[in-house]
Amino acid sequence: MKKVVSEISGVVFSLPWLVAKDNGLFEDEGIDMEFVKAIRSGPVQHTENPEDVNPVLGHVAFEQGQVSIYRA
Amino acid sequence: MVPPDSPHNYPGTLGNQPIAVNFHAGSHYVGLRLLEGYLPKEKIKLVHYGSPVQRFESMLNGEVAAAVVMEPWIALGEKLGCKTVAEGHYLGAENASEDMDEETFAAINRAVENAVDLINADKRKYLHYLIDDPSFANAAAKYGGLTPEDFHLPRLRYTKPAVYTDEMVEDTYNWLTRWNLLSNEACAANLVDNRIAEPASADD
Repeated sequence: MKKVVSEISGVVFSLPWLVAKDNGLFEDEGIDMEFVKAIRSGPVQHTENPEDVNPVLGHVAFEQGQVSIYRA
Repeated sequence: MVPPDSPHNYPGTLGNQPIAVNFHAGSHYVGLRLLEGYLPKEKIKLVHYGSPVQRFESMLNGEVAAAVVMEPWIALGEKLGCKTVAEGHYLGAENASEDMDEETFAAINRAVENAVDLINADKRKYLHYLIDDPSFANAAAKYGGLTPEDFHLPRLRYTKPAVYTDEMVEDTYNWLTRWNLLSNEACAANLVDNRIAEPASADD
């Protein structure tokens, strides 16, 4: 089994991945899939300027190399 | 989406009105794409509110005039009588690290493709993933929560992974730079690498 760690953010975007894991479809392909939850922001500083916001958002685990794939 | 008692019924009256989005995410980009068809750039007033629950509740309590949300928040809003004044779809992307090898990526995609087939065969069967997700369910409980019957199924569109064409990348790149959301120094060649992606036919 090849180990892969994937970030999960919004469930609506990751639904096929969740269904694939729960139905053994990754295992069928030789993939040991582990999910890591993206960091959810709580209340944030409101701004009208996009440059005030770090575009990495909650995808910190990917940026730090802890997961190898995510979707957005 | 606007509250039930909102005077807004289409995007054209939302000029200079605060609209909650999550900057640098889908709600930001699709919000701009929907509003720019109705309003001049200088009248579009998007405000960063972060996560879906923050955006949804700021809209519901009237703190902002509207919010850009995705499912299952759309279904919840509609159940509460909120009005959808514009609706758009956008293409998701898989972002893989440089050390993802071709064989592993292809194996992952095969599994995802099979899952897409399962979902499209019976979408309602899998809605519990959206309804029971703690980041939604905990907030939605105070509004009565959702059941699978509350969803408009054609809104949920799952397709099999496919490569971005050069034309899609170029069009998106030009749109992003026009809105000053991407450095002019970036170029398509260092943003997208299709070498390890096998073309796949999109269903539907």
